[in-house]
Amino acid sequence: MKPILECQGLTKKYGNIYALSNLSLTLERGQIVGLLGLNGSGKTTLIKLINGLITSTAGQVLINGMLPGADTKKLVSYLPERSYLNDHMKVEEILSYFSDFYENFNVVHARAMLSDLDIDTHARLRTLSKGTKEKVQLVLVMSRDAELFILDEPIGGVDPAARDYILQTILTNYNENATILLSTHLITDIENMLDRVLFIQKGQLVLNATVDEIRTAKRESVDSLFREVFKC
Amino acid sequence: MLGKLLKYDLKYGSRFFILLHGILLAACILGRLLFFERLDFDAGSDIIAPYIILATSLYVLLFTAVSLGTAALLAVRFYRNLFTDEGYLSWTLPATPVEQLWAKLFSGTIWYILDILILALSLVILLSGSNLTAAYAKVAPEITEALGMPLGRYGTMLLVFTLLSSFSGTVTIYVCISIGQLFPSHRVLCAILTYFITSAVIQIVVLGLMVIFNLFPGPYINDAATETDTVQYLFTTLKLSGVINFVLTIVEYFATRYIFIRKLNLT
Repeated sequence: MKPILECQGLTKKYGNIYALSNLSLTLERGQIVGLLGLNGSGKTTLIKLINGLITSTAGQVLINGMLPGADTKKLVSYLPERSYLNDHMKVEEILSYFSDFYENFNVVHARAMLSDLDIDTHARLRTLSKGTKEKVQLVLVMSRDAELFILDEPIGGVDPAARDYILQTILTNYNENATILLSTHLITDIENMLDRVLFIQKGQLVLNATVDEIRTAKRESVDSLFREVFKC
Repeated sequence: MLGKLLKYDLKYGSRFFILLHGILLAACILGRLLFFERLDFDAGSDIIAPYIILATSLYVLLFTAVSLGTAALLAVRFYRNLFTDEGYLSWTLPATPVEQLWAKLFSGTIWYILDILILALSLVILLSGSNLTAAYAKVAPEITEALGMPLGRYGTMLLVFTLLSSFSGTVTIYVCISIGQLFPSHRVLCAILTYFITSAVIQIVVLGLMVIFNLFPGPYINDAATETDTVQYLFTTLKLSGVINFVLTIVEYFATRYIFIRKLNLT
């Protein structure tokens, strides 16, 4: 079976600035991977390249052996760090939209999660609070039976109670054969659920190790290693 | 996939489109009932002329507003759906960039064609009152002679030319917005500038070709303002613009397609 994600010499330049520089990476299936780095380190650029939202300057991304395109988008469920839903739509309409476009979207599952969260599916998105909108997006993304979940800062803008719910949602909806790539800098909140971490600094991969390796070899937590590596 | 994308594109703008054109049609029905049907065309032209000039001016304003509103609907839908935060969803749907482009082209052309047909209908509503048609019958031979053809045929030809331009008009809007996205900042401003620069260049090329092929009705440009020559000149210009637009539409389509496939860079 091909790796779910491969990056080969991936480079992205904005003007004269390298957002990513010759980054190579392979991710196998069935793991939760933390993509960690400081602001502006290249995390979101990498995520955008995987999703085909920007084009690379050099190198390539392969998802299940394919370049980003319509076929890879069936496999990838992506939660961006911003609200990407049309505010004028009702939650119900958004459910229909996802059902229409994604064959692997489980609408029954999504409805159950929305009900658990007391979110009225007849409400228009613009009437919901920022935190509730984020929950709606997360429910939509996690209700797909995808092979690669890419979550960009899923807990960045929500309160601790919602944060717990989101992390619980991710864990309970996690298919063992799927891979989750989770970008954040709130490491302590997610450390216990991670199998592997990637440290990215100035557009380059500076660490690719399992959490067990970090704990055994370096005898420290991911959080303390992060603070050490990215010390200002 | 194309059908699904098209469905949501058409659904998105339908309310605004219906509202905009509903206002136009309502204004035309009222204009006919309350104004045109109450005009006495047997009165001297110096008496009714000011009223007709006022009504025509109001109609031209409304006509322009509705046309601009439709163009804005296309532009805003295209820009918002593909190049703002919404683009993060649109571009992660399992659709190819070409399917995304054709969905927008079909929906845009459908809106444009409906817009043109409704604008034509508004004119018919406004001008088909019995008093107006009776007044027109008196001057019809003169107008037919001046146009070189009956007014109905003239209007139909203009309508056909306008309908044919609906696709190219849509592509032009899309290519300008897409080119605007190539700039690192002020992307909307760059898109608007691209539109004006492209339009100006096309006008200059049409004028240049008319001079080169000696398509003006006489040695002086103002010769075009004489009766049948005016119509001749108008249709020659339309035909030439049609050919240029056809070539330009193909270039613009492939430019947009190229940007979608190779140069997509969401901020």
